[in-house]
Amino acid sequence: MNNIYKYSVFVLISLVLVGTFVVPIPTIPGLYDKARIIYLHVPLSWIAVVSFLLSMINSVQYLRKRDLIYDVRSHSAAEVGFLFTILATVTGALWAKFNWGTYWNWDPRQTSIFILLLIYGAYFALRSAIDNYEQKAKLASVYAIIAFVTVPFFIFIMPRIVESLHPADTIIDSQGKISMNPVMFTIFMFSLFSFTLLFFWILNIKIRLEKLKLQRIQKINN
Amino acid sequence: MHDFLEQNAMYLVLIIALVTWAGLFIYLFSIDRNLKKLEGAEHDK
Repeated sequence: MNNIYKYSVFVLISLVLVGTFVVPIPTIPGLYDKARIIYLHVPLSWIAVVSFLLSMINSVQYLRKRDLIYDVRSHSAAEVGFLFTILATVTGALWAKFNWGTYWNWDPRQTSIFILLLIYGAYFALRSAIDNYEQKAKLASVYAIIAFVTVPFFIFIMPRIVESLHPADTIIDSQGKISMNPVMFTIFMFSLFSFTLLFFWILNIKIRLEKLKLQRIQKINN
Repeated sequence: MHDFLEQNAMYLVLIIALVTWAGLFIYLFSIDRNLKKLEGAEHDK
């Protein structure tokens, strides 16, 4: 990962922050400036989904090829995804306090993300319970694949079939058309893109660290 | 504080941005610490 990438991430995230706080938004009844959270909170949730997807893909690759590098990638993606899920939960709860009156309402999206945290929390518990690296990788890969099967249900389906306090049709309406103000939509997409690049940088650092750990374990075993 | 944030939502968004940044910073800090431990272990060999 070269320096241009890293400098670009710095500039892009800085621009996202400028867009979040400086660019005027249209008056949204009941939300007003609180609507600006969409530039930060939604990208965090988006990255959680991307990282769990990457974890699942690498788990499949591990089971096919039995190369521990895929397990390293899968585990790293799950860990970074877990961090972003926690951040999405905390930022959402803060916003809920000032919009809905309490930090936690057991809204379908809040319930879904809580269950996802439990599912991926169990993934790390499973990993730490097994000493043998090969066995750990095999069981964790199977678990990561099964865990990801639940992600689309909890993130996309359940919040749409149960009534939710979350603002509906904020980005795309029920007919599939973009309902968001064009300026807000541009900043929102820009934020999604920038946070995704930031995620890949963090993931890259984490994978390099885990690779070093793996090499050390393999050296000791040999 | 609660009333202030309720009337000045921009500061609520600022707190949310800072929480996000703090979370990412703490994670990067922990990765850095782990890396230092590994480097230290390699150096001691």
